[in-house]
Amino acid sequence: MKGGMANPALTRCRKKRFEWWGPTFEEARKVALSKSKGLKDKRMSLKESVKKFVRDGANIGIGGFVNTRIPVAAIHEIIRYGVKNLTLSFHSQAYAVDILCGAMIIDENNLSIERVELAYEAHEMLGLAPCFRYLVEKGLIELDDYTNYGMTARFKAAAMGVPFIPVMEEGGTSMETVNRGRMIECPFTGENVYLLPACHPTVGLIHVQMADIYGNCRIFGTLCTCPEIAQASLHTIVTTEVIIPNENVRRYPNLTEIPWFIVDAVVEQPWGGYPGAVYGFYWYDVEHLRLWIKAGRDFRKTGKTDALENYFNRYVFECETFDDFISKVPYKTLKRLKALDGNRPIIWD
Amino acid sequence: MVDYGPYEMIAYTGSRLLEDGKVVFVGTGLPMIASIHAQRTHAPNIVLLFEVGSWGPSLELGLPYSVGDTRACVKSCYLKGLASAFELAQRGFVDYGFIGGAQIDVYGNVNSTVIGDNYSKPNVRLPGSGGAGAMAANCEKTIVIIPLEKRRFVRKVDFITSIGYGDGSEGYRRRSGVRGSGPWRVVTHMALFGFDEATRRMKLLEVAPGIQVDDVLDRMDFEPIIPQEVKRMKEPTSKDLKILREVDPERLFLGRDIKE
Repeated sequence: MKGGMANPALTRCRKKRFEWWGPTFEEARKVALSKSKGLKDKRMSLKESVKKFVRDGANIGIGGFVNTRIPVAAIHEIIRYGVKNLTLSFHSQAYAVDILCGAMIIDENNLSIERVELAYEAHEMLGLAPCFRYLVEKGLIELDDYTNYGMTARFKAAAMGVPFIPVMEEGGTSMETVNRGRMIECPFTGENVYLLPACHPTVGLIHVQMADIYGNCRIFGTLCTCPEIAQASLHTIVTTEVIIPNENVRRYPNLTEIPWFIVDAVVEQPWGGYPGAVYGFYWYDVEHLRLWIKAGRDFRKTGKTDALENYFNRYVFECETFDDFISKVPYKTLKRLKALDGNRPIIWD
Repeated sequence: MVDYGPYEMIAYTGSRLLEDGKVVFVGTGLPMIASIHAQRTHAPNIVLLFEVGSWGPSLELGLPYSVGDTRACVKSCYLKGLASAFELAQRGFVDYGFIGGAQIDVYGNVNSTVIGDNYSKPNVRLPGSGGAGAMAANCEKTIVIIPLEKRRFVRKVDFITSIGYGDGSEGYRRRSGVRGSGPWRVVTHMALFGFDEATRRMKLLEVAPGIQVDDVLDRMDFEPIIPQEVKRMKEPTSKDLKILREVDPERLFLGRDIKE
């Protein structure tokens, strides 16, 4: 049945020659084997963790979903640190990716993105992501489009230690023409099936509600694809709202969604997902998200980077740490965001 | 006669398409409102599914802002991650998928990725597939919600994000390696469309009260199949509107207007 698929859209687009956009399976296996797997205290500052694991040319896997449980603290630190020629991989993101794009717009000598493998980048009902749009429409970053499940499946394949995964989707769409998947004939059924390459980020950034000092993580609300991204990544930086004792982890081992030996850094960072939402802790700060989007739209409209620069100066560069950023949010706002979460019950003990 | 807005008509029409006891994979906004309306009226046992992996949530903190909103997970019966939603759809446990997009063609292919014919440097970069491409592939029936506008009902979409019947050839979906049966209904405030079984082309099923078939065709860049008998879309009663407005009290989704 293989071959002869007529795709009515996008005649101008050609299938890319396959290449890995990050570490290969072999490299990922080698790094896993080289790690010390014992229970050791991995707490460190965000600065230390970013300096240790984020390099020019890295593929950064971003956890969370749209603006939910996104690793904002780690993203801000990466912008302060400055790193070039990044590849970003995620399924659906909003603020976290748009500010990386904004950082590239104001100073590509500080931070630059080369490629993005994704399913979705926008703020849902708050609108499109202006800085991401700008870079794509100018042809300044290369994209590789999948569906949300496609990206989940790719991280899952990497997490499973297999080079590809079959999915019953993406075939027959324009994604088949532009992304790095391949249609093959199933050796068992003889029917067409679409294969997606595994995705191993160099560094996974994951924000969770709870972790112990070794990196055993509990996640409440949606897991998104965080366990798979962490397991797929060569190195994983975990930021956590709170640190819990290891004896709590051992009380309910089933609650551990990410195990210690795949985590390289544990950073205690309350409000680490703000202005996004973290189930059980706080809801979105819609006003702050709008403020960011407005700065990006202002740039798109005028071509002047003033509004973007003001945003970055005030909220990122003038902040030594993420706590300094959170200190700029009025206490009453933080209190309101906690109330809007509705105090969803989560398991602390 | 009761007074209602275009999006209230869309939400109501979406609701009456849904059969009880089925699983509905919902997107942000109108699909949620349509499904909750169905739950509170004719389909009490319908199950809402959010792509973050939330099965059957109660939504008691109010309407989620987005499909990833933590509110979409409140009091669900089963909550994991994206894999648990999409893999169960692939497995055959999801009956309806609601999707939207910027453009749709006569075979129900939907674009939500780029406007313009150069993927690498598009005129407009849209959000991308998100969950839609996977829902269109493997939910059994796809329902598309899209405003009836000439720039949206196009001869050729700039990019196929969510698979419909492809080029219309027989067996296109099977050859593409997807298993859902494909686009089933297209809901707009002025008309409801289905698809012809033999040709897989879009077919006009119903038009709203006071609207003529020509009014609908004026807003399309291709001609759908027009059957001998085109029915009238049912209007929401004041009871239906009360339920819809209870679900979206801030009128975030229902209060919008459609550009004429």
